[in-house]
Amino acid sequence: MAVERLVVVDRAAFLRRPEHRTVRVLALAGLVLLWEAVTRTGWVSSLFLPAPSAVLAEGYDMARSGQLFVHLGTSLARLAWGFGIGAAAGIGVGVAVGFFSLADAVVQPIIAATFPIPKIALLPLLILWLGIGEASKVAVVALGVFFPMAINTYAGVRQADPLLIRAAVSFGAGRWSVIRKVVLPSALPMVFAGLKLGAGIALLLLVAAEQIAADAGIGFLILQSGNLMETTRLMVGIVVLSLLGVCSHWALGGLERAVIRWRHS
Amino acid sequence: MRVIRLLARPLFLLALAAGVLAGPLAQAQPKPAPVKIGVLKLTSSAPVFVGAEKGFFREEGIEPELVYFQAAAPIAIALAAGQLDVGATGLTAALYNIVLGGEKLWIVADKGREWPGYPLVAIVVQKDLWESGLRSIRDLKGRRIGVTQLGSTFHYHIGNILEKDGLSLADVKIVPLQAMAATMEALKGKQVDAILVPQPFPGAAEAQGFGRIVAWAGDLYPWQIATIFYSGKFAGDRARAVAFMRGYVKASRYYFDAALIQKDGRTVPGVHYDEVVDITARYTGARPEIIKLGFPYQDRNGRLLVPDIQRQMAWWAANGFMKKPLPLAGIVDTSFVEEAVRALDR
Repeated sequence: MAVERLVVVDRAAFLRRPEHRTVRVLALAGLVLLWEAVTRTGWVSSLFLPAPSAVLAEGYDMARSGQLFVHLGTSLARLAWGFGIGAAAGIGVGVAVGFFSLADAVVQPIIAATFPIPKIALLPLLILWLGIGEASKVAVVALGVFFPMAINTYAGVRQADPLLIRAAVSFGAGRWSVIRKVVLPSALPMVFAGLKLGAGIALLLLVAAEQIAADAGIGFLILQSGNLMETTRLMVGIVVLSLLGVCSHWALGGLERAVIRWRHS
Repeated sequence: MRVIRLLARPLFLLALAAGVLAGPLAQAQPKPAPVKIGVLKLTSSAPVFVGAEKGFFREEGIEPELVYFQAAAPIAIALAAGQLDVGATGLTAALYNIVLGGEKLWIVADKGREWPGYPLVAIVVQKDLWESGLRSIRDLKGRRIGVTQLGSTFHYHIGNILEKDGLSLADVKIVPLQAMAATMEALKGKQVDAILVPQPFPGAAEAQGFGRIVAWAGDLYPWQIATIFYSGKFAGDRARAVAFMRGYVKASRYYFDAALIQKDGRTVPGVHYDEVVDITARYTGARPEIIKLGFPYQDRNGRLLVPDIQRQMAWWAANGFMKKPLPLAGIVDTSFVEEAVRALDR
């Protein structure tokens, strides 16, 4: 008996998005090579655009002398404290506001009023209140992280699927079981989205804070190199910032995959 | 007849066009571009203000265009970026690093020295601290000192002043505030304990009551603080560069004879003193009484203290602000001022 083969054409095939891994890597490498070529040929002065090779060499020197790690360590410590305090406070407030309507009534207007204030604008005020030491820098980072965390956590808690809640209740789950096993886990994706947002904001605010009243840190390194017109060191600072951003994004992505095991199949 | 009538309109339009275009074309040469000079609104820029106001540059065929900044290093940066032709301001680590980084610029004439007896930069402390006893350099130990930028002339100056008294930069906290106005605000708001600022700011701080002058920095450590410097491109246009210098030397002599004459060890008003005070007051926006506190010293002919430039680079390099010093021949060019002086004395 002949088997009839029916040819099925996937007419939505044009919407498929292959990852193009090699192109991604080559594009970045190509940009770096172009940059190197442009400075090598002298078309752009090396003062205005240091060559990648010079930036790497300077970065290596700074790493060897330990300077790079002093600046990096100081910045990371401030980031860790600020991010930690801001995220913890944000998640706490977000959960409270999500569960208790009274907390909602009290906190929501305050957040609505204070969220649009650019935190960089608050920096001089924080310095006035907390001095030019670590406290003001950690405070500005924490404030910057708090708002996206609170708002995202609140949204995550509120959008827990009512069907899942009713299913749990009909299986006999008590109040705390529902909160612990349904509401909080379904809020996690939004919490992680908030964490990724907060990480970017934290880096931005930290660099701004370190340019005003600091004597160590990546932001200070950028300020100092800029003041002295040591553009190669300036680029080292910028590259380190970029790497910090990439690493934090990657780390948070990994943490998300580990914690939210039901989302990525 | 008919032909003429047909051609009348196009001919008329052609004649009109020719008339419109003839006007600008008749102007034989395009006017030479103005020379952009980067300056700060300070008493020390008085020679440049005098030169612009009295027409000394114009006499030499140079049209000056003053571009104002808030700190010295940005002037060097703008010069390197091709936005200025001439810089008339302090020598900063940024300027040396620009040349070290491969951009050409030339230090060509004197525009202000820290000199004993001639007020330029002062160390101003909070009035309350002065009243509670902060009166000397040693008392600055552990204090916050506001400057415009890291690597500024103030940074160099306080570093050397501290070293003379057996202290070092590590004994104080240098706070960069990016602009001179910001240093004044920081002193007023008590965010720093002391600042280094040039005239007319110290006089203004005392007049407004929030600061007291501990010392004039030039009395403690003299050096070649400010110069005229040319961009590589402007220096290459030899005729214009020397013409500018002739105008500058004229202005420098006028300024010297008015404001820097000393009798029995004290500065006395010279020729055209009131005029120079008035010009300086107008350009800086300060009151004449504050300008009259004193004018900074410079060589009458604008000649540089060349060995001091070498000393500066050595200090910057030793303290980690520069990778290594430059050879003087790569950054200093005294030929412009010498040629101008020869031309004027002929």
